[in-house]
Amino acid sequence: MATPALKLKHPGCAQSIVCDGNEAAAWAVALARPDVVAVYPITPQSSLVEYVSQFIADGKIEAELMNVEGEHSVLSALHGAALAGGRTYTATCGPGLAFMFEPYWRTPGMRLPIVASLVTRDGITPQCVWGGQQDAMTMKETGWIQIYCETVQEVLDTTVMAYRIAEHHDVMLPVNICHDGNYLSYGVTQVEVPEQSAVDDYLGEKNINWHVALDPLRPMAVDPLTGGAGGPGPAKFVAYRKGLCQGMQNALGVIEQAHADWAEIFGRDYAPLVEEYRLDDADYALVTIGSMTGAAKDAVDSARERGQKVGLIKIKTFRPFPVAAMTRALKKVRAVGVVDRSVHYGWDCGPLYQEVLSCLYRAGQPIAAGSFIGGLAGADLTEGHFARAIERTAQLLAGDEFDSPVWLNEHD
Amino acid sequence: MNTTHYLVAGASHAGLEAVHRIRLVDETSPITLVTRDAHAPYSPTILPYVVSGQSAPERVVLRPADYFLQHNVTLISDNELVSIDETGKQVTLKSGDRWQYAKLLLATGADPIIPPIPGLSETPYHVLRTMQHAIDLRDHAGKVKRAVVLGAGLIGMHGAENLRHAGLDVTIVEMCDQVLPGYFDARAAAVIEHAFNANGIRMLMGSRVVRVEPLGDGCRITLENGDSLEADLLLVATGVKPQLDYLKGTSVQVDQGILVDRRMRTDAPHIWAAGDVAQAADFYGEEKVMMGILPDAVTQGAVAAMDMTEDHALKPYIGGVPINTYTFFGQQAISVGQSLADASLEELTRVDEDHGRYLKILLKENRLQGISSINQEMDAGIMWQLILRKVDLTPVKDAFIARPLETGRALMSSTWR
Amino acid sequence: MTAYNTIAFDPSRCELCNDCDACITACAQVKSGSDDPLYSRIKIVAGFNGNPPELALCRQCGDPECVKSCPSTALTKNPDTGLIDWEKSLCVDCLLCTVGCSYGGITYNATLKHVAKCDLCDGDPACVKACPSGALSYITSAGIFNEQHEREDLFVPGLSACQGCNSEMIMRHSLRKVGPDTVLATPPGCIPGMGSVGFNGTTGTKVPVFHPLLTNTASMLAGLKKQYNRMGRNVTAMALAGDGGAGDVGFQSLSGAAERNDQILFICVDNEGYMNTGMQASGSTSYGSWTTTTPVGSEMKGKRTSQKNLAMIMMNHNCEYVATASTAFVEDYYEKLDKALAASERGFAYLHIYSPCPTGWRFPSSQTIEVCRKGVETNFAPLWEYERGGDLHFTHPIDNPLPVEAYLNLSGKYRHVNAEQLACIQQQVNERVRTLKRYAGQ
Repeated sequence: MATPALKLKHPGCAQSIVCDGNEAAAWAVALARPDVVAVYPITPQSSLVEYVSQFIADGKIEAELMNVEGEHSVLSALHGAALAGGRTYTATCGPGLAFMFEPYWRTPGMRLPIVASLVTRDGITPQCVWGGQQDAMTMKETGWIQIYCETVQEVLDTTVMAYRIAEHHDVMLPVNICHDGNYLSYGVTQVEVPEQSAVDDYLGEKNINWHVALDPLRPMAVDPLTGGAGGPGPAKFVAYRKGLCQGMQNALGVIEQAHADWAEIFGRDYAPLVEEYRLDDADYALVTIGSMTGAAKDAVDSARERGQKVGLIKIKTFRPFPVAAMTRALKKVRAVGVVDRSVHYGWDCGPLYQEVLSCLYRAGQPIAAGSFIGGLAGADLTEGHFARAIERTAQLLAGDEFDSPVWLNEHD
Repeated sequence: MNTTHYLVAGASHAGLEAVHRIRLVDETSPITLVTRDAHAPYSPTILPYVVSGQSAPERVVLRPADYFLQHNVTLISDNELVSIDETGKQVTLKSGDRWQYAKLLLATGADPIIPPIPGLSETPYHVLRTMQHAIDLRDHAGKVKRAVVLGAGLIGMHGAENLRHAGLDVTIVEMCDQVLPGYFDARAAAVIEHAFNANGIRMLMGSRVVRVEPLGDGCRITLENGDSLEADLLLVATGVKPQLDYLKGTSVQVDQGILVDRRMRTDAPHIWAAGDVAQAADFYGEEKVMMGILPDAVTQGAVAAMDMTEDHALKPYIGGVPINTYTFFGQQAISVGQSLADASLEELTRVDEDHGRYLKILLKENRLQGISSINQEMDAGIMWQLILRKVDLTPVKDAFIARPLETGRALMSSTWR
Repeated sequence: MTAYNTIAFDPSRCELCNDCDACITACAQVKSGSDDPLYSRIKIVAGFNGNPPELALCRQCGDPECVKSCPSTALTKNPDTGLIDWEKSLCVDCLLCTVGCSYGGITYNATLKHVAKCDLCDGDPACVKACPSGALSYITSAGIFNEQHEREDLFVPGLSACQGCNSEMIMRHSLRKVGPDTVLATPPGCIPGMGSVGFNGTTGTKVPVFHPLLTNTASMLAGLKKQYNRMGRNVTAMALAGDGGAGDVGFQSLSGAAERNDQILFICVDNEGYMNTGMQASGSTSYGSWTTTTPVGSEMKGKRTSQKNLAMIMMNHNCEYVATASTAFVEDYYEKLDKALAASERGFAYLHIYSPCPTGWRFPSSQTIEVCRKGVETNFAPLWEYERGGDLHFTHPIDNPLPVEAYLNLSGKYRHVNAEQLACIQQQVNERVRTLKRYAGQ
């Protein structure tokens, strides 16, 4: 049966396909033209590396494919490739990310612009194979840039943008494009695939190891034993660490510019850091992250129809945390309900909630705020769940308080 | 004013070894080597063989000309020190040139002693200390028949044997009762004297010369006992001593030679001395001694250079040990260390009259003090080391006495690894 | 400085005690056409008081005293061959050369009426050929040193290794040979610890050097090599790793790279433990060894289990090339390094260098090479190689191995070993050799 051609809605696009988020990421990888791809399968990422491998097998991606024996070696191999000047890609999640941890938290300090998809998965304590953002949130203080996608199209677009961001000379940091396991990894929709030449123009010349290299033509010791209590060690190490922090801050502007340019070329305009949805006249708002946002927006729309003055704030770039953009949004409301797909063990709340509190304190705006936790271990977050969250947030506005988080799937 | 870092005076064994050692650790600082000789560097030891014609002067050059070029050494020949300004660290050469130095090594060797014999200064005679002396003596010997040699020391004996080899009738006149006094004991000396006699050299031992006078192209030598000898050629070989006039006005202390410490330093700052010119520590006693033997000149030159270059590997000079390896008419006399027994020494002697062989071992508390031999296979270097290292022979004493050669080899070989 | 070929003598193999004089006779025959030992320039003498035999032979010294003591220039040191040449026509038989020699290497022959000394038979010494027991051998490794001398030392001077460190020698020699078109990875351990990866913005190595994780050396190099292949550049990806980084925590990445046949030259410097951090035990630590984590006390007498044989494990990965090596047999090592370097162009090459540690094993720093040698001669550390698709091949077979005590006695880490443990170690050595021989088809 012939498949009818899908209509293209945007400029700069070559074709329109129907695919899931994992395949969309693979298309993005193809468009970014990496040099070295290292893979190791793990649920729910597996089909992504299968697509990438097949694309390489088919010549659709012209890259070195490394089938290595574990995630630890996956990222290690990419270290070597990046230090030799290669553009690199991999994907992982959950236990794989945990196993990758040793090279993972070394990557930002070496300023290697590696792009890795995190097909987010809940933590394996006690055990879980389903979606959730606990894996990514556990890594939030390692120095990687974390960008969370809402839709399959956004997965494709943002994964390409990630190379522009990572390799920007003012940034030079690794980027995780996080897309929710199960919901985005397997959710199928129509996706437009950009034109290769347009992407080539967008990404420009690659220059991966201008700053640090393992190359006999310009020999250097990469990461000598720096630090210690005496001599030039402490100052040098501070320079490394402070430079990394500065790179993260530089990334905010670079991410905005990358999105603006993308919108101009390809016609798809995403809020790069923080999206405000029906917020301007809102009294209160939900704060969301990732694919849950679609259902949350539907719930906001329904509540609006009921006359409730509720809006929504979606965070896309979580690391570096867009303090200014988030503060700007929060200033528009008098109460927020923050919905997390993971937990912050230390504070008995969601991690995004805790960051929102920090923003509010910094803005001198002690408005009412509540933590909602849902969608753990692949659980569904429906419009009904968000309707409840809206109701509870409205009660905050009315003076109600709750210190413990609301577990949205507790009684499903 | 010329300047150099190292100024080495003398281009025989001590001076040449010093240059070699300096260049091992200091590849760049300028070295200037001054020699009074017009010939390329040679060993005084070779001179008797030049006389006999066995060694050609051009084939006994210790360092080829390009050696000095390759090692960045300025060689000044046919020139010599005439004075030293130790405060200004300058020397003046015979040519009038002046050289500024940082470090100065005196390795100027020794000169023949001319005995105060009446008539000698009016009589033509030879000495044998330089290549030119040897060439003159050789050329003269080729034209005449009768030679008289005054002195039965090493130069006299070597000279006499080589004049004999050159075909002359040779007479040796020696004041002492034995040949090579101080080098060998009376028994060894007797064997040597016998060999000289047997080879047609007339040996006048215990004879004092009272007058020398010219006679035609040659000379007449009158002895204390009234006998007289006629000779076409006279070789005076009554010993050597350093010529030290150039030290006038310096604080360098002198006895028979230049007094040096165990690093070959003189009493003057920045001045060292080594070789036949130096009077250095004795291995056996407290008094400083003149050694005048080739291996010692090499050692002293090395020690001086290592001190001059502040080479950390320097081991101070351990003291002179008399050593003689003497071949005469196909026989060998070897003496390492003390050759004369005294009450403190244990003496073991073995004589094989039939084969003209002789061995004497001197021990002190089971440590080798000296060993002498005639016509015995002997590793002089091993014996020297056993003495220098004061090797305790107690565990191997019987074996050493019975088979000193093999036991010495085993002892030294065991130190190799 | 130049190194030269030389005759080596192993007294423990000498059969002088059994009235063997093959070398002496051979020399006398070749040089004088006589069987009379008087004409021999090599002399073997009985050791005193029951010690092994000793050798009187010209050592062809580097700065020879005999030459310096020669007034006639008859003796010269040949700068090309290292031979001390004696020219008969110049010699005046003064015997001063014999004063210069401390080893009886130049002696007077009363029959010939002149001195005689070894001339190495123009590089093919008759005595060595005649020796039936292997006590004499002609060592030609000098050529390797000279060749290496011409190459740049790609590590800086003044790395702070312990005195007598075998690793420093291995790394300097290996990298000289492998050359500058190399990226070197040295995971945590003695090699970076002595400064090769530098400190605070400086480097200790003249090629690009990386201090990877203890765990990921092989995979990191694999990715690097892939990128250079992609760029069409020939760069050697080389690892100098300790046994812990190779065989313990880094083993997964090592195994993965070997399985994928990634083009890597991986050199494991096996000092049997974590010597850099204070002598803790690793999987490579041998049975009975004292370490700080396998101590000796009333309840424990050193390590209770045997070491893993990493080289054999790597052989079973069917790598392009696998070999063991020892710095006591440097010619053997250089041949293997050549082969490994060539193999690393095709795929994974693994060299396992047995590397005794004076500091951690408790032996004098002067004894490193002797410990290496005894390791091989007792078969504790057999030298072999394997090429993909072929059989294991012993490169220095030890037919009559010394008892393992000859090796154990040299190191303090085995000082406590009792008779039972000793028997166990000997048995392990025997079993290991038996297994290797099976792989060798013997």
